Amino acid sequence: MQDFLQTAIGGLSIGSIYALVAMGFSIVYRTMGLVNFAHGGVVMVGAYIASTFFLTVSLPFVLAMVVAVVLTAAIGLVIEGVLRPLETKDVDLMLIGTIGFGIVLQALVIIIWGATGRAVPTPVFRQPVTIAGIVVRPYDLVIIAVAGIAAAAMWHFLRATKPGAAMQAVAMDPDAATAVGIRVGRSNAIAFGIGAGLAALAGGLAGPVLYVSPSLGGVIGIKGFAAAILGGFGNVPGAILGGLLFGLVDAFSASWFHGFADVVVYLVFAIIVVVRPEGIFGEQTVSRA
Amino acid sequence: MRTAKHHHALLTGAIVVGGALLATGCSAPGESDSSSSGSDTGPVQLAIVDAQSGQLSSLGHWEANGVTLAVNQINDDGGICGGRKIELTQFDDQGDPTTGTTLAQKIATDDYAAVMGTAESGVTLAMIPILSQASIPMITSGQSPKLEQTGSEFLFMNSPTSTTFDSTLAQYLVETKGLKSVAMITNNGAYGTGEHDAFLAALEELGLTPVADEVVTPDQKDFTGALTSVRGANPDVIFIGAEEVEAGLIAKQARTLGIQAPIAGGAPIGTQVYIDTAGVENAEGSMVSTPYLSNDVSDETKAFAAAYDEEFGEEAEAHGAKAYDGATIVAQALDSIDCATGKELADAIRASDYTGLQGEFSFDENGVGLQETHIGVITDGKVVAADD
Repeated sequence: MQDFLQTAIGGLSIGSIYALVAMGFSIVYRTMGLVNFAHGGVVMVGAYIASTFFLTVSLPFVLAMVVAVVLTAAIGLVIEGVLRPLETKDVDLMLIGTIGFGIVLQALVIIIWGATGRAVPTPVFRQPVTIAGIVVRPYDLVIIAVAGIAAAAMWHFLRATKPGAAMQAVAMDPDAATAVGIRVGRSNAIAFGIGAGLAALAGGLAGPVLYVSPSLGGVIGIKGFAAAILGGFGNVPGAILGGLLFGLVDAFSASWFHGFADVVVYLVFAIIVVVRPEGIFGEQTVSRA
Repeated sequence: MRTAKHHHALLTGAIVVGGALLATGCSAPGESDSSSSGSDTGPVQLAIVDAQSGQLSSLGHWEANGVTLAVNQINDDGGICGGRKIELTQFDDQGDPTTGTTLAQKIATDDYAAVMGTAESGVTLAMIPILSQASIPMITSGQSPKLEQTGSEFLFMNSPTSTTFDSTLAQYLVETKGLKSVAMITNNGAYGTGEHDAFLAALEELGLTPVADEVVTPDQKDFTGALTSVRGANPDVIFIGAEEVEAGLIAKQARTLGIQAPIAGGAPIGTQVYIDTAGVENAEGSMVSTPYLSNDVSDETKAFAAAYDEEFGEEAEAHGAKAYDGATIVAQALDSIDCATGKELADAIRASDYTGLQGEFSFDENGVGLQETHIGVITDGKVVAADD
């Protein structure tokens, strides 16, 4: 039982990171019908910015995270701005554009910070705590808590604020939204910015747990993407659930299947998607008739 | 609606395009005049193939630095074969065997004397059949025992194999330190599998079996499952067969889970990346088997480290040293046969008698040049020679 709980906590922690990444994918897909393949790269950039401000500039970790989120959100706005002309013409071209941006981000990171990457020390609560024979890394709990707060904030934003409602409207019907005076371009830009901010949050939090390197975005991006699909692509609570589930499956597969862990994780994902293609909570995106 | 005029225009266009294609086809692909095949003057071309992006890009970066430093020094000293300079071209294999084979095909059709690289065994194994067929020697920093078994006359290793690393380490752990209960954690990539098999064989030779044998994936981030099993087995020492970052994460998480047993492993354990990722306190006491203990071992290594620092502004480490040795050997071999290439160059490399930063090189028929490693212990964040 101890081992089970131990593995579960680790799974929830990495799952929270997947959840944040998945939320970023979903918010952009929901409002624009676009799969943002630069998302993994943005996670990586966020991790680099957060760790640079934390280590080199020596800001307190929370402040470094805030700076990273703001700067990365700005990068998200730039990406959306550059690709906006393609949006009305062909979303598939915009998707290819995001793939290109992902490659550009990785190359830029290597030029600025080098290929080697850096290890980030755990910023808070370094000492693990033992509760009933289970070793708990307090930082894992921090990650889970932050992801939870971000999820709640997203939920509130979409339900109870004007820009959030506008985003919902654009997602339902962009033409009708324009007709009632909502600026679709600006709403999409905000969505992209929020997605990028979430990515930075994921990357910055993940830095101390993993290792900040140009390939950080790769695996996390793919798993976050799969998590988003699992929960229902475009559905924000779905993204959170999908992320946590994916993290748990990840952790238990590693525990039970050792070298075949990745095979099992993606097999489980494939089976679920075949049985229920729309994901747990159903796909939600803008209808482009 | 097609008109006769339209047909006429199409035909003309086709002839023009076809003529242009023929014209380009007649000249050598992508070659500049100064380095046409078989020329006796002009620079000697060497290719560096390594991961410049992706998870293993640090290895590629270090190796490229080592080669570049060696070649710059040789060129500054007057070059080889009566004043010819060595020209380097860098290729990014992204740590991916498929990309590697594409690059091998490109290199095979161009005019390269030899290939320096790659730093990882999987890609090297993918590339060597193509390069062997083109008679282009390849000097790799990979250490998988599979590299010994390719049967190619053109593959050379500037590192000892995993077998050497691990038998030296196993003997040290079991016979010198008396640590009989050994747990293994390895990944199932090319390097990790090589380490797993080699270390297991080394233990068997000493009459031991490991108390735990956990396999993880190269991309894995959370090792709770594997480490919990290891903790249950209560080992005296944990052998890690994984690359720098993963090994560091395993060590860090092991300490968090309360496992105090020392860590042991091959060259990745001796790198700064491992020490940084694991954290200095967690890396303390780790035992490394490596032919290049540190930059302070001898006057030659100190000079190398100083030159490396001056050229790149970074601290030198083992992979750079390996590549430096390899590049110097190739340059000297070329010089000894007046820059001939192909099989003659391969034979010249094999006949090399060279003492490098890692020790004395003497290539056998499988391309292995070094047959021994040294043991170091991480003390206060630095690797120092173990006293045995």
